[in-house]
Amino acid sequence: MRQDWAYRLTVGSGTLSLVQSGPMPSGAGSHPVTARHPVAGASDQRVRVIDATLACIARVGLGKTTLDDVARAAGCSRATVYRAFPGGKDALMTAVVDTEVSRLFSELAVRMGAACDLEEVLVSGITGAARRISEHQALAFLLEHEPEVVLPHLAFDHHDRLLAEVSAYAAPFLGRWLDHAEALRVSEWTARIVLSYLGCPTQSLDLTDDADVRHLVRTFVLPGVTVLSGAPDHAGTAVVPPTRRPVPIAGPTTSKGEAS
Amino acid sequence: MESGTRLRILEATYACVARWGLSKTTVEDAAREAGLSRATVYRYFPGGRDELVAAVVSWQYVEFFTRLYEEVLDAASLEEVLERGLLFARRAVLEHQVLQKVLQTEPEVLLPQLTLQSNRTIAAIATFLEPYLLRHPLAEGVDVHEAADFLARMILTYIASPGHWDMSDPGQVAALVRTELLAGVVAPA
Repeated sequence: MRQDWAYRLTVGSGTLSLVQSGPMPSGAGSHPVTARHPVAGASDQRVRVIDATLACIARVGLGKTTLDDVARAAGCSRATVYRAFPGGKDALMTAVVDTEVSRLFSELAVRMGAACDLEEVLVSGITGAARRISEHQALAFLLEHEPEVVLPHLAFDHHDRLLAEVSAYAAPFLGRWLDHAEALRVSEWTARIVLSYLGCPTQSLDLTDDADVRHLVRTFVLPGVTVLSGAPDHAGTAVVPPTRRPVPIAGPTTSKGEAS
Repeated sequence: MESGTRLRILEATYACVARWGLSKTTVEDAAREAGLSRATVYRYFPGGRDELVAAVVSWQYVEFFTRLYEEVLDAASLEEVLERGLLFARRAVLEHQVLQKVLQTEPEVLLPQLTLQSNRTIAAIATFLEPYLLRHPLAEGVDVHEAADFLARMILTYIASPGHWDMSDPGQVAALVRTELLAGVVAPA
């Protein structure tokens, strides 16, 4: 059961409206762009171009994708692509990344928003992110053939920035059971776990599998989480086996996450 | 362990990388710096520049984790290994001038190389941690291999990207180790 949902996202300097319906495309290449986005306004045109770009990258990579290819895949002229993205390929790529991040976050919002306890929020968030990322054909092509394009955005300081963004986004979904600082901390920690297992997969744990992720969350994450004392019964204590109660701990002394 | 002429070439290449970066370092530069002929460098690194650069990254990577290993070797407990290791490794990353420079100027060259090493590193750290885990009272049902793998992953991520944690503060590192590394691994006190 998936509702239609709409959201706005900022792309570069402008704001773009996106309306999504139905499940996200598992791969941009097979995504029936034209059927879902009948030409209407400028933002529809941008979305078509963005999806066409994803399809091209999934096929031939970033280096070999030209704006002509994108125009052809989007079924429009090169001039239209330039009108939609006056900054050319760089501006287009910024928009592609922003759009895909927003799509991921929106899908996670639907999943995590529907969860009724803390364990479920974490499991649905982790599996949702893992499935979408591991099924992303454009990203898979780049990681395999042009890692130098992707990895600089995912490592060291850039990884820190990514963690800060993810935790700021995900924390409110944990806020029913955790105070704000703890929600930020746990979101950041969970994002690390996801990125580690996706970056260096292991045979013993499939991050897209509910049972595997539930095991991971119960074993390593929930025992390290301090649940609000007034949280709903089924939220914290009940999800942790009785012998493995959450351990209240003192975190960093400064207000966590807010400095970044 | 690198030794002899091969080590000499790697050291010379490293000196060139420190000066000019990974992309601009050539076999000629490395040979001149080492006081060897190009032919000798090619004998040790038949793949030329690419192989040399990959070898120097790999060598420095191993050196880094060897220093980390030596730093924590005499630690008495699991907690101490993790706390001392994290404090030391994060400081070493920040103080590693060549690493920092290359991360700023040529991340697209360095990071694919580092990523290739990550899987092996996780396995190596996990193997190192297992004896400490075996000596420690663990939480019910915890599998030692699984816990060691999880801890190794966490160590790698905090070393490279501390997020909101101040990894120069021993108090914060201790809190980090108690919560995000060990809360589910060790038996509740």
